[in-house]
Amino acid sequence: MKGINFKKFFASPRWVTVAWVVGLIVVWEIGATVVAGVKRTPENVLPHLYQIIGSVFSTQKANSTQTAIQIVLANAWVTLARAGIGFVIGAFAGFVLALLMSLFSAVEKMIFPYLMIIQMIPILGMAPIVLAITKDIDKSRIVIAAILTFYPVATNTLSGFKSVEREKRELMYSYAANRYEVYRKLLIPSSLPYLFTGLKIAAPMAITASILVDTLQGGGGLGCMMSQSLKHAMTIYVFWQIVFLSAIIGILSYQLMAWLEKLVSPNQRGEGAATTAKEQMQ
Amino acid sequence: MKNGRSFWDQLTSILYPVAFGVLIVTLWQTGVLHAILGADTFILPLPGRIFDIIQDNQALIMTNVQATLIVALGGLLLGSLVGYLLGVLAAVFSKWGKGGLTLASAFNAIPIIAIAPILNNLTKDFSSDANIRSMFAKILVVTITSTVAMSVNAYRGLTELKPFSLDLMKSYAATERQIFFKLRLPNSVPYIFTALRVSVPGSVISALVSEYFAEYIIGVGRQIRENIVLAQYATAWAYITVACLMGILMYVVLLIFESILLKGRR
Repeated sequence: MKGINFKKFFASPRWVTVAWVVGLIVVWEIGATVVAGVKRTPENVLPHLYQIIGSVFSTQKANSTQTAIQIVLANAWVTLARAGIGFVIGAFAGFVLALLMSLFSAVEKMIFPYLMIIQMIPILGMAPIVLAITKDIDKSRIVIAAILTFYPVATNTLSGFKSVEREKRELMYSYAANRYEVYRKLLIPSSLPYLFTGLKIAAPMAITASILVDTLQGGGGLGCMMSQSLKHAMTIYVFWQIVFLSAIIGILSYQLMAWLEKLVSPNQRGEGAATTAKEQMQ
Repeated sequence: MKNGRSFWDQLTSILYPVAFGVLIVTLWQTGVLHAILGADTFILPLPGRIFDIIQDNQALIMTNVQATLIVALGGLLLGSLVGYLLGVLAAVFSKWGKGGLTLASAFNAIPIIAIAPILNNLTKDFSSDANIRSMFAKILVVTITSTVAMSVNAYRGLTELKPFSLDLMKSYAATERQIFFKLRLPNSVPYIFTALRVSVPGSVISALVSEYFAEYIIGVGRQIRENIVLAQYATAWAYITVACLMGILMYVVLLIFESILLKGRR
């Protein structure tokens, strides 16, 4: 009897995921225990998870005015707001460029090869130079996040425009629909799943970029606090909290895009569309 | 007539991008780009100067390129191998594997920046030589970032078989082992390249970023940063150019390999 329940318990995919998470926690804790036995300052290498969680609720001040979690959250806001602005600008620019490329084949021919090349260019490596040009950490956060968002959105949306079957276009033509109507009623709606594939790829990248730009200058933000904590200017748990927070934010940003997609187009949910988008992109 | 049009089509698809590139470089060289961006030639040097610096510092640049390449390629190789093995494991133990892969793709959303410093601390005892131990940490970062793409794609390649092919194999009374080696494994080859197309540019980026946090100062990414700290923007631009060339070259090599290995398959 017990055996059957056990089987049922693990039958659903959700429990499999939970089991994996539990397994990972166990592995982390074993690692932390080993490290605690060997190292002089285990919290620098691999603290126990309960120590990290404990530090979140600790009321001890990490600098003169704030506790660790207050520092982290205040700086997370700075980083996220900039990443968000850059993300929106980049997504908008990417969509407009895809529209232009689909409207005028000359533009596509001119820009598309560079769009492919730009994917292979390590933009994050250019972060310091963008900072030097804009001379402002906020602006450079926005610019880098926008550039990183821009190309997945542009390429995916373009392949979305191209994925529309010829028959559908011909049908619109037979209705004597003008260009605006064709885009408004056929091309833009059917490119939406592709647009969201691009957004899902871009969202965690925009956040990574924003954190990385933080580390370049001491102007606040998660990355800045992270490097200060690593240099032991404040408690090391600030670093660990940021690690977990950035992981959570990265995953949440992806989920947010998936949720937005459901909100915008509840009927067409395209895992299939998403994979074709990726394949066509390449 | 039709022939003529397709020739024109081909011609413009080469001519337009080249013209666009020439336009940008000309704007850059003549200083119009500087006016638009509000930058001076100190921060955004002219293309000619950047290439002069690359030529003058060839030896130094090559040592850094070598360091970055070892990290990127080592991590890529290791990560792809581990990823493929995970994909195989997931395909064999499908029920458990799928959940694991869902979790693995969630890890994909974790910023590299969060991983790099952890691994730096973890590998402090690996070697007494700072160069070797930070090299090891950097390779691990790249490994982690390229594992996920490969494992997810390998799983798909091993399980998304052509309709009826599995039934056909079963009708031949093929063993699981035979199905694996004669059907699943060949089927997964194109998917390996799909994964590599994501992870090859990704490996260069991860290598550059992990260098930012590494203990030992070497590598193209680190040089970009160090030179900017020293306000040597022209040198930093030279390293940026080199980094871009590295990314593009690795991708081209991948495309060549792909076209040879997948000949007649797509």
